Amino acid sequence: MAAQTLAEAAVNEGNYAVAFPFFGAERRGAPVLAFTRIDSKKIFSKTQVYAPDCVVVLDDSLLDTIDVVAGLKPQGMAIINSKEKPEDIDLGKIIKTATVNATSIALEILKAPITNTAILGAFAKATGIIRIESLEESIKEKFGEKLGAKVGERNALAARTAYERTITGKSRGVKKLEARKQWLPTHQEIPVGGALIEGKTDAGLIGPGSFIENKVSGWATYRPLRDRAKCTMCLLCWFYCPEGTIHRISDRGDLMTNYDYCKGCGVCANECPVDAIKMVRARA
Amino acid sequence: MITIKELSDDNLFTAGHTACPGCGVAMSIRNAIRVLGKDTVIYVPASCAVVFGTTFPYGAWKVPFFHTAFENTGACLSGMQAAFEKKGKKVTAVGFAGDGGTYDIGLQSMSGAAERNDDVLYICLDNEAYMNTGIQRSGGTPFGAWTTTTPVGKVIQGNRRFKKNLGDIVAAHEIPYYATLSIGHPLDFIRKVEKAKNIRGFRFLHMFTPCIPGWKMDPAKTVEVTKRAVESGMWTLYEIENGEKRITHKPGKMKSVKDYLMMQGRFRHMSEEDIKKLQMWVCRKWNLHYKEKGAPEVCEIPQFEEHHAVTEEHREMHGP
Amino acid sequence: MKKVITGDHAVAIGAKLCRVEVVPAFPITPQTLIIEHIADFVNDGELDAKFLTMESEHSVMSAAAAASAAGARVFTATSSQGLAFMHEMLYATAPLRLPVVMANASRTLGGPPGIWCEYNDSMGARDSGWLQLYVEDNQEALDMVIQSFRIAEDKRVLLPVMPCLDGFVLTHTVEPVDVPEQAEVDSFLLPYEPDIILDPKRPAMIGTFMPSEYIMELRRQTAGAFESAKEVIQQINSEFAQKFGRDYGGLIDTYMMEDASTALITMGTVTSTAREVVDELRQKGEKVGIIKLRFFRPFPSYELKKAVSYINALGVFDRSISYHGGGPVYNEVRSSLFGMKIPVINHLAGIGGRDVTTKQIMKMFELTQKAANGEKVSDVYWHNTRGETV
Repeated sequence: MAAQTLAEAAVNEGNYAVAFPFFGAERRGAPVLAFTRIDSKKIFSKTQVYAPDCVVVLDDSLLDTIDVVAGLKPQGMAIINSKEKPEDIDLGKIIKTATVNATSIALEILKAPITNTAILGAFAKATGIIRIESLEESIKEKFGEKLGAKVGERNALAARTAYERTITGKSRGVKKLEARKQWLPTHQEIPVGGALIEGKTDAGLIGPGSFIENKVSGWATYRPLRDRAKCTMCLLCWFYCPEGTIHRISDRGDLMTNYDYCKGCGVCANECPVDAIKMVRARA
Repeated sequence: MITIKELSDDNLFTAGHTACPGCGVAMSIRNAIRVLGKDTVIYVPASCAVVFGTTFPYGAWKVPFFHTAFENTGACLSGMQAAFEKKGKKVTAVGFAGDGGTYDIGLQSMSGAAERNDDVLYICLDNEAYMNTGIQRSGGTPFGAWTTTTPVGKVIQGNRRFKKNLGDIVAAHEIPYYATLSIGHPLDFIRKVEKAKNIRGFRFLHMFTPCIPGWKMDPAKTVEVTKRAVESGMWTLYEIENGEKRITHKPGKMKSVKDYLMMQGRFRHMSEEDIKKLQMWVCRKWNLHYKEKGAPEVCEIPQFEEHHAVTEEHREMHGP
Repeated sequence: MKKVITGDHAVAIGAKLCRVEVVPAFPITPQTLIIEHIADFVNDGELDAKFLTMESEHSVMSAAAAASAAGARVFTATSSQGLAFMHEMLYATAPLRLPVVMANASRTLGGPPGIWCEYNDSMGARDSGWLQLYVEDNQEALDMVIQSFRIAEDKRVLLPVMPCLDGFVLTHTVEPVDVPEQAEVDSFLLPYEPDIILDPKRPAMIGTFMPSEYIMELRRQTAGAFESAKEVIQQINSEFAQKFGRDYGGLIDTYMMEDASTALITMGTVTSTAREVVDELRQKGEKVGIIKLRFFRPFPSYELKKAVSYINALGVFDRSISYHGGGPVYNEVRSSLFGMKIPVINHLAGIGGRDVTTKQIMKMFELTQKAANGEKVSDVYWHNTRGETV
């Protein structure tokens, strides 16, 4: 949505632009990728972008696991939704960086952690590729059309607020992030017909049950905190948890939550009959 | 009968799967497989559950998993069960199909397996639209609901047809066991899965499974909304065993359907007139189902409670 | 033991001799006799198999795929509209490497509806990942069901196989067939023992959703299995010939090709009639021969090239049209012979079940010979078609 809105704003300014998502298979909340190309003339390339001028990161928890600036051009820029200042962000190399706390802005103005319009404001401020006024227009048009004028205006306001609060500077370049390992078998190695039994590769588990190595905590905006004193061990939270992230510790008659797999849905808190579970912000 | 406490700790559908937060399907699958145990082979037709349960080379299932297409859950179960029987293996063949895969495109295949009374367990995860393709209307979509193919337009608003009565269609095959389930009623849920596991012949479990993005609701409310569906009569809990129908959970006094609708963005646009129409449908269903006449006053004097109104937050998140 | 039986009956006996374990079935003319015979075998206790009366061909192939994935030897049969209806499932079965064998009684795929022989049903499935072969008589129909299981279940192949027999011309025609002894077949075809199946003792995921990082390698792997299949087919043909005394030539068969200057590529029962035509022409001193295209998938490009290396012109018989001017066999042959300076003439005949007579086959040779003599001829001829010249 952000990529498309940006493209629309660019076109409204007389440029040519294309925007497209990388069609992943994960569900709502999972990390996704989208691309925008802007040029003064028609763009013919239909490939994904491998060496961008600018990388926009909507969730700074991704910085821990993904080298988001891997393909970024040396003079390129990173724009990051974060409460930190650029100087406090370690991208593994020193590059132009802008930050804005888009989540707070979204919660404040939209009452939901949906940051894609706010971050566009930061993009306008940091790159100057697009004017904030053009963005506001596009946002109002795009969101207003689908969700009503009021929603459109609020989203435009989120972009404007982010524009005003964006800080630009340079990132730190200390940490070394290893590229995420992925099992990429050749056609000779791939199991016949793609049938998989439990297996282990250099890149981790594959086959039945291997999703256990897929840490999904990055999806969560909130996470549950359980008050042991109030808990009656009715096990409803354990039963309802769609993730299987709450475990019974049978010998102690207690429960344990493994936040690696908590997507922060809040069902446990909602269903707890004695209000022993509270949802708190996963990252302030 | 198994209680929640006695349920197995085995994570036969592991954490780390990629369903949306609060997914009613994931919740139902996880608990069904807890009861069914490891001597189970799963077939899943095209649906979210294929994607979030297995994406090559990863998988959440720790029991054998098979997938080929959309419309063939019944036939695939029959085929694998035939092989198990021929080989003398005692395995429960279980299909987890969505409403689209059961009410619509897979109806014929399901009917074939039911009519042959093949010894398989068919589970329909009913989230009332084609969610995997991005929320399109199915035969299971309720009256009034917004979907992308029943949009809220200037002339026509939402789905104009009432939800198909799948239960009667399935039951008409005179199978040994048909039951409706709700994840909001755990003991009833567990008991029915356990029962279905132990009956021979074609068993059908019809699970009501809220979809957060499709219903445009707060992910924390998955369980609450199923409870409200039952309290309002939008979903009823019963079983039909060898032709004998039995109500397994009767709510107290019928609650207004508006209570249920207001929790979900997909109904937000509904006019008072449409809500009344739906309420009439629910009342008729309630009276037929519970064989009582206590309900019509709900239809005549709509006393709508406002405290479950969709919040501004959800509108922002999920649109109309 | 000699029996005078229909092609359908021969196929059913072939399946029985293979001790098939699961047979999902649905009737369609002219295949129906096959499943009826198998139902008789099962109900009379002659075959210990699960016979499933499915409610459609789509469900037939779904059940077949699932039963195969669960480790059973699976057989079924279909035709025409039925094959079209299960089209989606053909594509599911092959890349999952499930070695199902399914006889196809070749029949017009409507509209307009017709029940007689045409290859437009199976030709539409030519890129579904199934091996396809076309038989000439009832003996070959029976023998090839047995060979099909050997080929399909060979670890170097593991692909489904579709033996095709001409609707009515074979399916409903009786002729003498030598039925092998069960013990002989048992020693030729051992029980099916797959590596990975749906079994709770060793859980597997089969048919998972597959992202683009993997699917291209999987396609390449399947393409590789087709390459391996060529060798396997030849090997099994030889083994079969040794054991049962009938050698079909493998991927292709040839007749009078040793010194032929003109050849006709044939498929199915037209081959049989063409043999008599060749005999007649040979008596007149004409050096003609036949190349019988037995396997259409994998396509025997190399074998064809070798077989035609000495000839002056090649005719190609097609029993369906591909709407690019000629038939699908013509297309494949020309592409296989690319670079060779041999005129290739397409002969479309027998479409919709129209009888392909000796006179027509004579004409095919005559036109091809004209091309061999350097005379001007068309690329494509519609034989015995009103409004056309031949």
